[in-house]
Amino acid sequence: MAPKVRAPRITLASLKPAPGSQQNQKRVGRGQGSGYGGTAGRGANGQKSRSGPGPRPGFEGGQTPITKLFPKRGFVNQNAKLWAPVNLERIQHWIDQGRLSSSPEQPITARELLQSGCVHDVHDGIKILGDGAAKLKTSLYIVASRASQSAISAIEDKGGKVLCKYHNKLALQQTVKGSQDQVDAAPTRRADIVWYGQHHNRGYLSPTTLASLDHLPWVDERWKTLAKQLGAWKKQ
Amino acid sequence: MLASLSQRIRVLSSRTVHLRALSSTQVHHAQAASKLVDTPEHPALTPVLLSLSPPFVQKASDPTPEDFCVALDPTVFNHPVRRDILHLCVVHYLDSLRQGSANTKTRGEVRGSGIKIRRQKGSGRARLGDGQSPMLVGGGVAFGPKPRDFSTKLPRKVIEMGLRVALSAKLKEQRLGIMQNLSWPNVKTKHLAQRIDALGCRKTLFVTGEGELPKDLERVMRNIPAVDVVTPKDLNVYQILKWPRLVMDLKAVEYFEQTLSKAPKSLQTALPLP
Repeated sequence: MAPKVRAPRITLASLKPAPGSQQNQKRVGRGQGSGYGGTAGRGANGQKSRSGPGPRPGFEGGQTPITKLFPKRGFVNQNAKLWAPVNLERIQHWIDQGRLSSSPEQPITARELLQSGCVHDVHDGIKILGDGAAKLKTSLYIVASRASQSAISAIEDKGGKVLCKYHNKLALQQTVKGSQDQVDAAPTRRADIVWYGQHHNRGYLSPTTLASLDHLPWVDERWKTLAKQLGAWKKQ
Repeated sequence: MLASLSQRIRVLSSRTVHLRALSSTQVHHAQAASKLVDTPEHPALTPVLLSLSPPFVQKASDPTPEDFCVALDPTVFNHPVRRDILHLCVVHYLDSLRQGSANTKTRGEVRGSGIKIRRQKGSGRARLGDGQSPMLVGGGVAFGPKPRDFSTKLPRKVIEMGLRVALSAKLKEQRLGIMQNLSWPNVKTKHLAQRIDALGCRKTLFVTGEGELPKDLERVMRNIPAVDVVTPKDLNVYQILKWPRLVMDLKAVEYFEQTLSKAPKSLQTALPLP
């Protein structure tokens, strides 16, 4: 058998990097031949040629900077809520694709909407809106933070049920996580108590709403107690 | 890979020195034993065969090494040569060894007062502030070295590939040996040194898959020059390239194949490490 020509042995001395993988560092101020000698790429005199951090960010040489040209306006409401909107059209499309399913025992909540990709971020809660209500075919069982009037009427026309429930930050996290052992806090602000106590909004503290959903397994007994306690203002 | 350690080595009907001399039936025996058969779906998974090296202590019950060969996972021991990957791994290792303790004093750290050396105007010479300016003799160093960390990061998978390339290179250069086991019965260094000379195993790195301390192997070998023993966990690419010869035992081979193999999972059988 003819001896094969062997490749030179691989030793520590015969290693080299892949060609083109290593670029030489730019070293300024090291003679004219490098192209970066003399003033080292800084030009002639002026603030920019000096050492140090230079003018502060946003400084425009004395001209009124763009950040100062226009007056301040208004305030930012710290209590404002950002609802993540989702239209009925989108929910129906997701159901048609098989990415969402709704049944009387397992309603659609923020968790299902987020995990299926119907909603990309829950923000402060989900609001069901009524765009494309004509395309809704299935009877939906949905629990959300808010719902528009057209969405409520469209869902109930098709035989579904909507419930608007108050979620504070912690309750929303627990809903998205899917944990069963936590008790969600009741609303504390007057505006929230009033809103969720109205059947017009399908709020979970409204006795009429709870009565219409009585047969469903996911309705909490505690909500009835809360409805009575937090609804006491109506009779005062 | 193989159901047991003993199945890994198969008796061949004749002595073999070069693997090319194996007949096709013998190769088929070994391939069938290793379960990595050269199928149309996996053309690159033919196992690589390497004959056993004679061990330190040859017991009568042990198989004679000349008649046996080991079937090795080709994704670990028959990897194509990648010198650039080896370069990356070696440079990364050497970077990690740097002490990085070079230190100089800046003009703020040099001992001295802040008094102005001479008046600003009228002396006829250049203007000067304190006596520790880098411009002056005995002053601080401008932009001198300071203690720093020279270690770099390299993706874990690149290091693993480096190990595969290095092991394959050692095998290809016929500088890799596999012994049944690396054990020496007593702690007598002199006798082990004589045995190593007899086997021609100087300038060799031994890789043992067992723990070092119970076997006392490290203690025996400690004083033998140009010989060292490591565990497969501590083996790195630099060591594989540095040492002219590498000898490992079967348990070390198992370890490397378990941690480094890229063969599809369906063709591997998970073996519990001892």
